[in-house]
Order: sequence, then structure tokens, then C-alpha cells
Amino acid sequence: MLEQIKHWIEQRRGGKIGSHDPDNLPHPKSPGEQLLSDCRLIVLDLETTGLNTSRDEVIAIGAVAIRGGIIHLGDQFDLILRRPELDIRETVLIHGIGPEALTQGHETEDALLYLLEWMNGDPILAYHSAFDQKFLEKTLRAQLGYTQSHTWMDVADLMPAFFPNAKTGGKGLDHWADYFGLEVAERHHAASDALATAELTLVALNKARKEGVKTLKGLHDKLHYRRRLQNMHRF
Amino acid sequence: MAAANPESNLPQNIRAIMTFLREHAPFSSMDDSHLAHFAEHASLQFYADGDAVLSPDQGVVKRFYVVKQGRIRGERHNEKEDRTETTFEISQGECFPLAALIGERPTRTLHRAAGDTFCLSIGQDAFINLFSESEPFRDFCLRGVSSLLDQVNRRIQSSAMASMGSSTSLDTPLERYALRNPIVCSPDLPVRKAVARMHENNVGSIIVTDDNRHPTGIFTLRDLRTMIAEEKGPLDTPVRQVMTKDPCCLPSHADAFEAAMLMAEHHFAHLCVVDDEHKLIGVVSERDLFSLQRVDLVNLARTIGTATHLRTLVSLRADVSRLVDAMLAHGADSGQVVKIITTLNDVTVRRVLELNIKKNDPGIPFTWLTFGSEGRQEQTLLTDQDNGILFQTPDGMTAEQVREKLLPFAQTVNQELAECGFTLCKGNIMASNPKLCLSDREWDEWFIRFIDASTPQNLVYSSIFLDMRAIFGPTEPLHDLLDKVLSRIRKNALFQKMLAGNAFQRKPPLTMFRNFRYVSDGKKHALDLKRQGLAPFVEAVRVFALANGVETANTLERMDQLAKKGVFDPKDANAWKEGYSLIQAIRMRAHQEMLAKGEELTNYIDPDDLNPLDRRILRESFRQAQRLQQKLEVTYQL
Repeated sequence: MLEQIKHWIEQRRGGKIGSHDPDNLPHPKSPGEQLLSDCRLIVLDLETTGLNTSRDEVIAIGAVAIRGGIIHLGDQFDLILRRPELDIRETVLIHGIGPEALTQGHETEDALLYLLEWMNGDPILAYHSAFDQKFLEKTLRAQLGYTQSHTWMDVADLMPAFFPNAKTGGKGLDHWADYFGLEVAERHHAASDALATAELTLVALNKARKEGVKTLKGLHDKLHYRRRLQNMHRF
Repeated sequence: MAAANPESNLPQNIRAIMTFLREHAPFSSMDDSHLAHFAEHASLQFYADGDAVLSPDQGVVKRFYVVKQGRIRGERHNEKEDRTETTFEISQGECFPLAALIGERPTRTLHRAAGDTFCLSIGQDAFINLFSESEPFRDFCLRGVSSLLDQVNRRIQSSAMASMGSSTSLDTPLERYALRNPIVCSPDLPVRKAVARMHENNVGSIIVTDDNRHPTGIFTLRDLRTMIAEEKGPLDTPVRQVMTKDPCCLPSHADAFEAAMLMAEHHFAHLCVVDDEHKLIGVVSERDLFSLQRVDLVNLARTIGTATHLRTLVSLRADVSRLVDAMLAHGADSGQVVKIITTLNDVTVRRVLELNIKKNDPGIPFTWLTFGSEGRQEQTLLTDQDNGILFQTPDGMTAEQVREKLLPFAQTVNQELAECGFTLCKGNIMASNPKLCLSDREWDEWFIRFIDASTPQNLVYSSIFLDMRAIFGPTEPLHDLLDKVLSRIRKNALFQKMLAGNAFQRKPPLTMFRNFRYVSDGKKHALDLKRQGLAPFVEAVRVFALANGVETANTLERMDQLAKKGVFDPKDANAWKEGYSLIQAIRMRAHQEMLAKGEELTNYIDPDDLNPLDRRILRESFRQAQRLQQKLEVTYQL
């Protein structure tokens, strides 16, 4: 199994796994004048052993890349980490990754190095991104000593920013997925959730184009502005 | 262990896309490795409602698309009416744009998203790869949607074939049938020698040809039997004196179906096949056409046509049903089968009339008319009587006196037809009704009232009386009558508009969102294929046919003629003919299934019982009916 995953990754990368250069990892890009119509965005989802950042661990990473407003299915990331020591009894029911699948998973360090290379420093989007950001940054720091921050954007903010009047009946991924009639193949599978989040992102990017938001910075500012507006309302 | 199944090694999202693809043709018949290749090379794109997906000015098409969610609408600008019309709709699981991609040209139609839509697509390289590796995919791409039609027909065939065990197709051109060197002789050859030659070659017929190899006659074993039984002459008689002159001929490009129909109509067992110069190339016998069949069309038609008792006719009806099974098995399409049923029904009606005339001749020549579906030659196994009589009042008699003689006769015929399985008409549209047993002048007046003083009630009858045909007696009187009726309708714009309005009432059973709209009479999830599916085509086509002087009553033939006259765009006409035929095919298959289960025949089906392909075909066919109605709406400004 591991051999096949390695083979699959090699095919995709044209290089051997484990031959990363830890001192020469890509630097995160800041949101500038890159055009949304041709920049690359990472949409990511993590499955963890629980919700507590200090105690729980990442067990699966799913991510897809959007380039030029299109999801390219050949450019995606779907790995289960090898963490046999983790206690996953609590969450096994939700995401369905049992101990057997975990032991077959990928060597954590290799997987994370590969992830960093694959992401290539591009901005990361996630649903309720604060959660994924905390877990991923913690894991990168602990396993690789990697401390650089990527640009993160929250799709849970992105959707209401562009569809302020949508009656979704809630703020969750499921609410928005239902609102746009998306079929999520396997909910709580990291890759599957990442794809659903990416599909919502495509919907938002389509709207952004029509509202004249053209650059990554424009998109970032719009989210920032919205968050500030919301914070102001709180007082 | 999971590794036993290679698919579990694929990333989740790739597997999910393969699962999605598998639910739709042609992917459902493709290998997993090819589906994986598709999924791994796919892009996913979003289009908001109204976004252009592909347009003619984008240049040569480089990608192959599948709708993952939502719908795509094809838009074409109608120059004549200066408005945009929807030419097609592509829904979940369907592919586009095949013709442009294969033809390496820009698309000719603007493809626009209808509602929020996601499309999967693959680039040229992946497409070419699949095209060369996967046979089902290649097959689908090359033949486009028409291969869907083939799939339906193939399924009908295979189920019917289970009981038949043969794969000869009626579409096969005659030249493909074993056209052994036909056995020929000159007209002066004595019968004895002609028979010897047949015997040597082990054949049942010999063609008599002139010096230019043009067939002038045919001599068969049956002729020999008659000759000897009736003592027509010695065996030294030249064959030209006993042969059947001017044998039936068909060109070699005609297909087996045409041959079978010609044989059934004339009760021949042999046909000459000739080239363009009418020179003999070969002979086709009914045995060549139906070598493996137990019940055959020609024999059945002949048996019905020569039956001497009503009870024989009644018992032969079961054979008609078996024959329909056989025809479906031999690849006859729905249009062919309804014609066969109609032909056999015609033969039955004619025979019932002949037997009654023999027993009790009313002594007055008349034309037996049929209306409605029989008039249109569109009968299926579920059929009732719609008939009438047209006569010319002899000198010295009144129409009333003629009726006194004809009505009791018609009464008997209607009853006997009922015994043969033609249900009595509940609306009393039968020849025994004094109002439908009329002289030529009375019919003409009847139609004048019908057309000039049209009431909504009258219009209900338009689907019956405006589709008529003569099946017994002289045809000239009906031809004259139709001439007058058609020219009157052509001149009467108001009547046309009322007819159009009436036809427009019958909406195909689709909702705005392309779901099925079910009949609302308590039957849960039922579609009435006749009233909701076929009627919108039949009624709309009738309006155009009558308004444009098309005399034939058959819906498919009317569409052909309307296309020829330039009333219908030929492409539209084809799409409509296909849609109509597909609904008819699904209806007939349902009938055969009900018959096999011993259930009463109805026109209701539950689309949930259909497989996804048939459901999709049905939906597309209904959509074609909607398009046809749109044309009606525009033409008559409804």
C-alpha cells in the first residue's frame, strides 16, 4: 500500500519521496497583485483526533488546488498520516479512519515535507480555517521545526461576503453545500470535504469576478473588511 | 486487504468522480482504468446561471465536458424571427460538444449555464487517449446521441430475442441477403424444363427474363400446384402462359423491412431484386428474411386474408402479438412495428368485410374509413375501433335509403371486429352509427360545419376525423373529399389557430426544472405515454400538416413531408421524429411486458421503473415535444 502511494506521488512529482531539502522549502506568498484569474490557491481540510489543539493530532490531510478559477483534479493531496500511537477512539465514528488505515498511513515527516512542497507557499483556504491553521502550524512546527506562516483565508467568511442575502439556515459547510446543491461524496473525509470547500470557493470566485474583485489582495481585503465590520457590530 | 482492489488505492476524490461517471452513459459501460484516467485528468469548473460555457467565437473546441451538476442550454439565434431559441438542453451526466470536438472546429451553438452548474472536463490529450483506448467511449463519441437510440432499440431487441434466437436485422439492405445467382429462364421454356431446373437447384421459384435480363414473370411451386390441380394445361406449355406476370421488384438498396411489407401486402413469397436499370440481380424469399421465425409476417397476412371463418380470424390475433415480439427481435423499430400491426389489422378488417359481403351483400359499393390512430397507421396492440362509411348515392335512391341497407351490415361488422379484439368504440365512432355512415355530399357538409362552425367540443374530434384513411373499397371518393377538406382548412386561418390552441393544451409532462410531471388522477408517479407523450407530437404535427396541404395521416410521414416543404427545419424534423419514435418504442415495450405478465394493457408507466438511460431518453423526447409546441406557439401566436 505504502509502496503504491509512493509510486503515485513519484509519478505526480517526478521526484523521489524523502529527497526533500528541508533547508530549501518554499516561502509562503503574501496576498499581492496576483490575478485571481491565474494564481494558484490551496483548499485544505484536516481530520484530527479531536478538537483540542494542545492535545489532539492531525491524522489525515486532504487538499485540492485551484488554478485560474478551475479545480484540477490531477493536482491534489490526499494522505493519511502514519500515527499508530494516537488514540482515535473518540472521533473514529465521525471520519471513519480506523487504526488499520492509520498504520498504513504515510510517514508523517515525509508527508508534511511533501505537503509544503506541493503547496508551494500558495495561499491556503479552508472552512473555519482557524482550526486547520492552528493544527497544521502546530504539526509543522513540532515535526519539522517549520515556523513560516502561510496566508490563510476562511471560506466560511468568503461565502457570506459574496452572498450576504443567502438563506442557508446556518453557517456550516453543510449549509452552504446544500444551498448550492453540492453533492459531497463522503462527508468528514478530508479530501472529500476539501473538494466541497473548493467547489464553494469556485462559486465565490465567480461572483468576485463579477463584482470586480480581480486580485488576491482584493479578495483578502474584502474578507478583512468584512471581519472588521462584524467586529464593530459586536460592540 | 484493500490492495486486492486497486481502486481503493486511488485518492478519494478520484473515486468519487468515477462513482459519479458510472451512473451515466457511456461511462457506465467503460472500464475502471479508463474512468480513472478520465477522473485524474479532469478539471472542475463552475458557471453561474447565465454564464457562457462555450461559444462560437472561442475558436476550435479543445475540451470534452460532462455536466456534474446543473444544466447547459444550447442557444441559437433565429434570424427569421429575431429571437433566441433553446435548441437543446444538457443535464447531469451528459456530455458536450461532441460534433465540434471530433470535427476540430468551433461550436456552432452558444452553450450557456442554466442555473448554477459545475462541469467536469478533460483536455484534448486525455480525450484522444480515451478515444483510442475505450471502445464504448469511441462508439459513443462517433455516433453521439443517436447511439442512445440504438441502445434502446438494442435492449428491446435483446429482450424480445430471448424467445426468438436470431439476430437478422430488418434494416439490412437486401443486397446483403444471400442473393445466389437467381435461377432464370426464357419465356418460351416449357414448364417441365423450368421445373427440372428448379429441382436441380433446389429452389422454389424461377424468374422469367427477357433478352435484357429484365424480369418479366415469376413461376413458383405454388403456381405449379395450381396449374396441375386446375388442369390449366400440359407440362409442355411455355412458361410464359402460366407464370405470374410483372413480378414485384425492389432495388438492391431497399432494406429487408420494405421487402417484408411488400410481401405482406401482396401475399407474395418471392421478390425480384433489380439494379438501377431494372436488370435482375437476385431473388429474395420470405424464408430468406425470416429463416428462423416460427410465425412469419407474409404467411400470417396470407392466412388472415384467406380465412373463411370468423373464428379463424379470432384465433389468428394471438399470432399477431407473437409476430410483434418477433419483429422487435429482428430489429424493427417502433415506426416499423406499428406499421406492421396496422397492416395486419387492415388485412383483418378487409377480410371481415369480405366475408360479410359474401354472406350478405348490401349491394351498394362503399368505402370503409378508419380514423384516429388506425387512420394514422399508428396502432399498437391496445386498439379500439374508429371507423365510418363513405358511399356515393346511386341514382334513384336517397342517402337515407342507402343507410337502411348499409347500417345493419355495418352493425355486424363492428360486432365481429370486436370479437377479433378491436374494442368497440366507447364514443360510438363506428360505421354503424348513422351519423358516420354518410354519402360523399353529406361528409362534405359535415366537414364544412366542423371547420366553419368550430366549437371546443368539435375540436376534441379533430384528432379522430382529421386523420382518416380508406382501407376497403374505392379510394377515389375519399381522395376527392380530402382535397376539399384540406383546401378549406388551408384558407381558414381561424380554424387553424383554434386547432393550434387545442394542440397547445396538451403539455408534455415536464416541469420547469426538467423533472417529470405526473398525471394527477391519483395514480402515483404515473406517466401516460399516449396522452402526455405522443399526443403533443401528433396534435402539433397535424396542425402543420393540415395547414400546409399534407394529405397523409401518419405522423412520421407528415413530418417528412413538412420538412420537404420547408415548413420544418430538416434537423428539427429529425429530432422530433426520433423523440416521437422513442416514446412509442418505450410504450410498446411496456405493452409487450404487460402482455407477458397477463396484465391488462395500459399506457401508464412509472418512470422510476425505467433505467437511467431510458429515463433520460424519455425526458429528452418530452423536451423535443416542448420545442415542437414552441414552434406552434410562435407560428400561431398563441
